[in-house]
Order: sequence, then structure tokens, then C-alpha cells
Amino acid sequence: MAKPPALLQLDHVSRRLSGREVLRDVSFSLQREDVLGLLGVNGAGKSTTLAIVAGVLQPDAGTVRIDDRVSNEGLCTIRARIGWVPESVPLWPELTVSESLDACGRLRGLSKPLRRMACERELARLELQAVAHRLCGQLSLGQKRRVGLAQALLHEPDLLVLDEPGNGLDPVQTAQLRELIGKLSPRRGIILSSHELAEVEAMCNRVVILHEGRVRHDAKLDGEHGKLDAQFRAIAAQPASAAA
Amino acid sequence: MSTFTIARIDLKRLAVRPFAWTLAGIVLAMMAWQFLLGVSAFMHAQPTVPGPASGPGFTDAVVAPYLLNYIQLCLMIAPLVTMQALAGDRSAQRLALLSASGASGAHIVFGKFIARLAFLWLLLVVVATVPLVLGGATHPDWGQFGAALIATALCVAALTAIGIACSAFTPEPALAATAALLIGEALSLIDAGLRITGGEGGWLGYLALHTHLAPAMRGLVRSEDIVYFLLIVALALALAIHRAAAERERG
Repeated sequence: MAKPPALLQLDHVSRRLSGREVLRDVSFSLQREDVLGLLGVNGAGKSTTLAIVAGVLQPDAGTVRIDDRVSNEGLCTIRARIGWVPESVPLWPELTVSESLDACGRLRGLSKPLRRMACERELARLELQAVAHRLCGQLSLGQKRRVGLAQALLHEPDLLVLDEPGNGLDPVQTAQLRELIGKLSPRRGIILSSHELAEVEAMCNRVVILHEGRVRHDAKLDGEHGKLDAQFRAIAAQPASAAA
Repeated sequence: MSTFTIARIDLKRLAVRPFAWTLAGIVLAMMAWQFLLGVSAFMHAQPTVPGPASGPGFTDAVVAPYLLNYIQLCLMIAPLVTMQALAGDRSAQRLALLSASGASGAHIVFGKFIARLAFLWLLLVVVATVPLVLGGATHPDWGQFGAALIATALCVAALTAIGIACSAFTPEPALAATAALLIGEALSLIDAGLRITGGEGGWLGYLALHTHLAPAMRGLVRSEDIVYFLLIVALALALAIHRAAAERERG
């Protein structure tokens, strides 16, 4: 029996930003129900990779495929299958949480009854009912992250793209995030970036290590903490010239 | 659909910001003061002995200069209202959120343009209501009033579109406001020298806002003036759309 196409497939993706080559020949794939951790030190190219996957940045070279469909073709259809939460969560500070979710539902083209249902579902799923009528600008960082996640999940995307989801969260919130990702993963693929090995190990079943814009390691997590830790340290310690 | 959703979000954001209310309050207070000055000057110019009416009427002497004053104010407030439109949203990643939600560059630009234009047109409606209060007593020339109002509305649309384009091309809201202010002032003053010396305008005269506002303020709606304002709107929005659509390529 033929293997189903990967939910996400990056082939030889390269990208320059401000004259600097941020990504070089990046290739990896993600199956449905996979939680892939993109690990790398600051400036490794994680956020750029995720922005390209989310369709907000275009690769200079290479292709991004969602279910075997090149993401540049029929971009709107592809975007409808992706939920993206960037590192600094984009919110409208003057709108309440409910209004913000409703606006995102409208942007996604959800009808009024569907929008109402989706908003209630996400408010409940992310435990945001208590702050539903608070202005987004008045929320704590953890609450903002949850609102960002609710915005990304409104249209039930097949692929969830999370950029540094654990940044700035306290231990309780981090534990809640891990639990939530565990609940979300059975029906979709999740790709998240982090520079913390422990976070990736706790949430992901696969890891891709990026260094200087290149994939340096791509494997399933086998629970051998010490091995991956040593590998990550060795890669991160490599100078730029070695990575090239 | 996305266009109106974006316009709705931005209007809502404007409505809850103290900035917009403060700006509206200042503009309306200044316009009320200008109107009182105009009416006072008009009253003093009236002959004390009854006789046949001569000289400029209420619309010429009060309403047209009053609407021109609103345009002068818009040269400053349109850049303030539009500066955050794309430049502010870009730095807060909200532009990327809109883009990731499926909105195209055109949807984003039109939505933001409609929201800001609605705000400035709403102010214009309130501003235009003031002369109407004296309509029963002063018998204004409604045709001239209508023509002046149309030209003012179109000119405000052009200034808003210029502001949106500047916001699309600059990384900082303050830079966007400065650029829009400079372009607006340049269009306003480009033929100032020719006007003083009374020389032929040529293409410099055609570019000037004054050339296209003056006939309307006298009650003359010319298609070439309407085309001029619509061209500015179309050109500015096309540039903004092009820039917004290129966000994915530029990063």
C-alpha cells in the first residue's frame, strides 16, 4: 500500500533576509499526528522556517507542500488549513478577547453560527472564559499566548505552527501548554520551535535541529536525553564556517 | 468580505482609542471657532441700510472658506489617522496575522483605507452640519454648497489614500506621518508661486490641489477635478497594495 503524502513537506528551502542567508537548503517533512520540534540557538532560522510554513514569507528557492500541494499555488486554500502563532502574539489591544476571536473567525470566512460555536469552543478549550470580556491589551503574557492559540485554532486547522510557544510562561502555564499540545496532536500535525531541549523533549515526538540556517539533525525522539543533549550542544557549539 | 472585516476591526479600534476622540474634539472645536469667525466677518460686511444684495453671499463668504479650512486641517490629521494603518500593524505582527488568515494585500489596504476614510468623512458630516444650522436664515446656495462638499470629500479621500501609501512604504508610523504630511503640503503649495505671480499653471498647476478645489468652491463640479482626485486615490492605493502584497517576498 502506498504511503500517504506527508502533511507538510519542505524541499530545499532557502531564504535571504536583509542580504543574509537565513535558510539554506532546508528539507524535512511532518506526518499527521506528529509533533515536530524545531530546535536551534537564537538566529538559527527557526522563526523564518515557521513563517514560510505559515505562508507569510515566501521562500527564495525550494518548495513547501501541504498534503502534496505546493503552498504557493492556491495560497488561500492552503492557509485555511494552517493555524499560526508567531513568537510575539499579534493581538488587537483595543478589542476584547471575544471580539478578537470573532474578528479572526470573520477573517477565516466562518459563518455567524459557526463563528459563535468556534469561539465558545476555543474559550472553553483554552480556559479563557473568565477573561472573554477583557481587552487583549490588558492580558498577561500567558493569557495573550492562549488567545493567540485560540485564534489559530478557530478554524480547526490540520497543521498548527507555533513559534516559541513556551517563551515567557511560568512553570504552571508551561505544564498546561504541554497538556494542551498533547490533546491537540491526535487530529493534526504540530510544528513548534524552541531553543530549549527540555521543552522539545516534553512535547514532541520528532526533532529537527537547525543551525546557521541548515538542518543538522532530523530524527524521532527515542527518549535518550543524554544523547540528544550532547548532539545539540555539539551542533550549537559549531562556528558558522563549520555549519556552512 | 475580508475588506469589510478589516475595516470593521479598524473602525472599532479607532472608536475605543482616546487618540481618535481627542483628535475629533480638537478638529471640531477649531472648525467651530473658524465658523464663528467667518459668520462674524460676514455680519460686519453686511450693509446697514436695506437695499439690493451685492457682494459675496453666505456660501461664498463663509461656507466655502470654512470647508477649505477643513481640508487644511486634514493635511495634518489625515497623516495622523493613517500613520499606524500598515506601519504600526506590521511592527506588531498584525499584518502577518491578517495575511496568514487569508486576507490579500488588496483586502488589507482597502479595509484600512475604508476605516480611516469613514472616520474623516464622519467628521466632515459633523463639520458640514454647522453651516446647515443657519440654512433657514441665510438661504445658502445649495448647489454651490453641494459642489464644495463633494470636492472636500474627494480631497479628504485623496489625502487618506496618500497616508495609507506612506504607511505601507515606511517601517515607522512617525515616518509615515511625516512623509504623508510632506506630500500633502507639496500638493497644496506646489503652485503657490504661480498663484502669487499670476503666471500660467501648466502641469505644475494641474498637480496642485488648489486648482481642483477652487472651481468646486465656486459651485462648479468639473469632471477633470473628480478624475484628478480619483487618480490620486487609485495611484496611492495601487502602490500600497503592491507593497503589502510584496511583504511575503521582502519579509
